[in-house]
Amino acid sequence: MILLWGLSADTPLAAVRDALEQQGHPIAFIDQRTVLDTEVELGVGLSVEGRVRTRTQVIDLSTVTAAYLRFYSSQQLPVVERAGQGSDAWHHAADVDDAMMSWAELTPALVVNRPSAMASNDSKPYQAALIRSSGFAIPDTLITTDPNAASEFWVRHGTVIYKSISSIRSIVSRLTPEHMERLDNVTWCPTQFQQYIPGNDYRAHVVGEEVFACEVVSTADDYRYATRQGATVEIRPYTLPKRIADRCVALTTALKMKVVGIDLRCTPNGEWYCFEVNPSPAFTYYQNTTGLPIDEAIARLLAGASPV
Amino acid sequence: MIVVIANNYDETARALVARWAAYDARLFTCSDLSVCGWRCYLSDYKSSTVVIAGQEVAQEEISGVFTRMHGVYAEELVHIVPADRVYVAVEMTSFLLSWLSRLTCPVLNQPTSTCLSGPNWRQEQWMYAAAHVGIPVRPVRRRVALASRNVSEDESPMPGPFTVTIVGDRYFGSADEALTTQARRLADAANVDLLAVQFSGSEAGSFFVGANTWPDVTADEVADAVVDYLQRGRLR
Repeated sequence: MILLWGLSADTPLAAVRDALEQQGHPIAFIDQRTVLDTEVELGVGLSVEGRVRTRTQVIDLSTVTAAYLRFYSSQQLPVVERAGQGSDAWHHAADVDDAMMSWAELTPALVVNRPSAMASNDSKPYQAALIRSSGFAIPDTLITTDPNAASEFWVRHGTVIYKSISSIRSIVSRLTPEHMERLDNVTWCPTQFQQYIPGNDYRAHVVGEEVFACEVVSTADDYRYATRQGATVEIRPYTLPKRIADRCVALTTALKMKVVGIDLRCTPNGEWYCFEVNPSPAFTYYQNTTGLPIDEAIARLLAGASPV
Repeated sequence: MIVVIANNYDETARALVARWAAYDARLFTCSDLSVCGWRCYLSDYKSSTVVIAGQEVAQEEISGVFTRMHGVYAEELVHIVPADRVYVAVEMTSFLLSWLSRLTCPVLNQPTSTCLSGPNWRQEQWMYAAAHVGIPVRPVRRRVALASRNVSEDESPMPGPFTVTIVGDRYFGSADEALTTQARRLADAANVDLLAVQFSGSEAGSFFVGANTWPDVTADEVADAVVDYLQRGRLR
């Protein structure tokens, strides 16, 4: 059985669910919206066993051969927030999430993706070192609390971008002269600056051994927020050079994940940079524009997992 | 220089820094991340400069790091405007993960992507790992239900735990050699060099009770072993 855990309205999760149903595979869906009615039992010794009970089903976790996780913090659900911080509902929501994540870390089933593997994305420079180890170029990077160092880095590279170190408020922006008067603020918290890399953007979704790539054409510094920045974005299917596609697969394996979205840029000189590996990609944004069958590939990956 | 990384209210960390004064031990807290002087170049890491105990130092001066912090807490950041404290705490924690993971000196324990001071495993994860390195276990059970919020229901009460503390290649706790070997095996499975492993007794065949990457380091022999590790790393 294939387990899906997340919100029913989550587009990637819904797409994979539809693909699995069309392919005729048995699935069990745990909807986070019903967290207050969800019960979890776990038993761990040499093996992992357990059950999940919802309003409508009882799931024997030992029968799960694969799982696709697109979970959010259950404490942020409206019904839990209304109950209030510190309420039984609030604690229960956290306990359900924790129990499910514990199972996800330990189950021998195929998990897309295990929570600890996804956590590398929570520190961009930490992940960047792993990316570089896989053979991709990464932008020259300075993390500093020294405004003078930031200025020198800017002068050295001519064009510089800044972005969050974590995955919060992670919008890529270019430094402009207007930022000079605020540069002293870096003293309060280490801030990440990177050389601007000119070139064409690509997004590669890796699903197991398969790679689905597209070219992204945009004038925005961060095409994910093109509309907010008053820019346009166009996404087209693209075939990566084999060596780059292979490197994407190897990077995904090195990061101990099964499905990722990899942000790439190819310079006019033909050098390939990797900016980030997204451990829970919202692939439908790209699929809907290009027709790339990413949901079907994820469904095949999940369905192809061996019985535990 | 030995750096002890700790949250602001960690009195044990302050005591260790005082104890290790002869080794030029210094206390690092999140306040040091709000001081001009950090310059970390990912392409030339060894040339980086950092701020320890309010002073700018060359990164190469650091000979060992003892991390007593899971992450930076927003509540500690009293010098940051309230609306930004959560964001800054996450940024600082993410930065420290990157910084610590790239140090070439001994770091106890090595950070993981989920925790600055080593694997932040749940009881179930420790139990599973212990079972898989051959330590006798009694399965741990957890039931989560809104009507009855119980966590970790063991099958039967365990006797009082007996602790073996691992520091690098040394161990503390008068236990059967079998237990010290098992404790070291568990530490290897978790990729840590500082670990307290609790057993149901001191004799061979005792059950695994729990493990903790934050053992009590106030005992003289353990504190001495920690600073010795930070001086030379683990002998293999």
